[in-house]
Amino acid sequence: MRPWRHTPEGPAGEAPIRLYHVSKSYQAGAFALRDVTLEVGKGELVFLTGPSGAGKTSLLRLLFGAERPSEGQILVLGRHVGELRDAAVAALRRRIGVVFQDFKLLPGRTVEENVRLALDVVGTPLREARARAFEMLKQVGLQHRRHQHPLELSGGEQQRVAIARALVNEPEVLLADEPTGNLDRELTFEIMDLLASAATRGTAVLVATHDRGLLERYRRRTLRLEGGHLVQDLPAARPQA
Amino acid sequence: MRHLSARLAYLARTALRGLAGSPLPSGVAVVTIATTLVLVGALALLIANMQGLLDRVAKDLRVSAYLSDDLSADERADLLQRARTLPGVEAVTLVSKEEALRRFQAGAGGRSGLLEGLDENPLPASLELTPSGPARSLDGLRRLAEAVATLPGVVQVASSQDWVDGYVRAVEAMRAVGAVLGAVLGLAALLIVANTIRLAVYARRDELEILALVGASRAVVGIPFVLEGALQGTAAGVVALGLLYALFRLLPPVLGPDLALVLGFVEPRFLTPAGMLALVAAGTALGVLGSLLSLVGGRPR
Repeated sequence: MRPWRHTPEGPAGEAPIRLYHVSKSYQAGAFALRDVTLEVGKGELVFLTGPSGAGKTSLLRLLFGAERPSEGQILVLGRHVGELRDAAVAALRRRIGVVFQDFKLLPGRTVEENVRLALDVVGTPLREARARAFEMLKQVGLQHRRHQHPLELSGGEQQRVAIARALVNEPEVLLADEPTGNLDRELTFEIMDLLASAATRGTAVLVATHDRGLLERYRRRTLRLEGGHLVQDLPAARPQA
Repeated sequence: MRHLSARLAYLARTALRGLAGSPLPSGVAVVTIATTLVLVGALALLIANMQGLLDRVAKDLRVSAYLSDDLSADERADLLQRARTLPGVEAVTLVSKEEALRRFQAGAGGRSGLLEGLDENPLPASLELTPSGPARSLDGLRRLAEAVATLPGVVQVASSQDWVDGYVRAVEAMRAVGAVLGAVLGLAALLIVANTIRLAVYARRDELEILALVGASRAVVGIPFVLEGALQGTAAGVVALGLLYALFRLLPPVLGPDLALVLGFVEPRFLTPAGMLALVAAGTALGVLGSLLSLVGGRPR
């Protein structure tokens, strides 16, 4: 067994996401993930694909500490996620951005307040939080909608808000679970471009999708899960931008 | 420091937003706590006034030792000296038979003729003992009465002990009722507040899930709910104080003679500033405890 060194910040040069022989079962004998070993490097955009029930969402949930692995080790930014206490999980999540298919925005708050949430909870002064949220909304092209509520926005715009919230605190890892599942083709590429640009700034991006069109268009490294097993690890077809 | 004040501002904003977002459950919690505080507060007010009466009565407590008619003047003087040396005695006065008759006649008013026609004055001489400060209690009074009864020439001892005894028991019973009532109502209020906050937690579960996702600590998630409970409890305390004062002003004229039966003719007094503060603080504490109770069990990871 490879000896993982545990340091608070993670050793320089080591991949921000590392899984080693990870299994997850919810019932005895029924595995959502089975003996998965992989790494995602800094600045890398990786697709996680496979049919429904293959274990994509389970893997992402393990990465942001929503669940603990049944077996194996998971290191995110050098922390053993499965062994962290609640407070440490919260601290780790401040360095991770998460995007979901259903956006998970608060309908009672404005677009700006939704984006600011990640900054508010860590005590960022209001003026600074507003400026950073504005800057982030500008990057996703929604600064003019900042005072509106999510339900006044289209699906694509809501997902851009969710991405702005995930990126506003400059995460080192970005996890996206079917982020384009509800969107049409044009919006899908728009959203993927945002995620790809995060990778070019050094964020390790892992995108779960079963959209073959995305894989073909972006031709990035692709991990394929089937029945909880990692059955394929295809390298990027061309140098990453 | 900037981060701390920003965080506090965020927590306060979130708590106020939570209260504004659920006015009905919040109102129910405030009314419940206020009702509890009014009932318990009214009882506490009554007990405090009864205790006030006891304190005033304690200043006038006396023990009277009636003397045998057979005692000579020297023996009475000797008895007076011995009574002054008893522990817990501040002063002793010898009341002669003649003085006793004068007092009777002065106090009997229209019935002063009752003793006319008797060959001799039937009233005995007596010693009036005033207890010293530390002895001005029920036990002190009892000990003094027992001690003076052992002196030779004393045929009977009387004190206001029986009346005081009964009144003290009444105050103690009221205290016990108040404690039980306070505990039962307090617990009920606590559970209602806890359930109100729990409903608020449930109604905002999506928000809490998102907060957890962006890395909010347990404290950042929980403190707004505790603040909501504290605000509800404090508001209830202020409302209860107002209601209690209104009752205090309105009820005595209506109750009149019934109140005089309990409190004598002592002027009823409202809560002291410390008492008022304690009432509001009790509301705040109920709110905080209720919200803490609702958060037991935590949130999903």
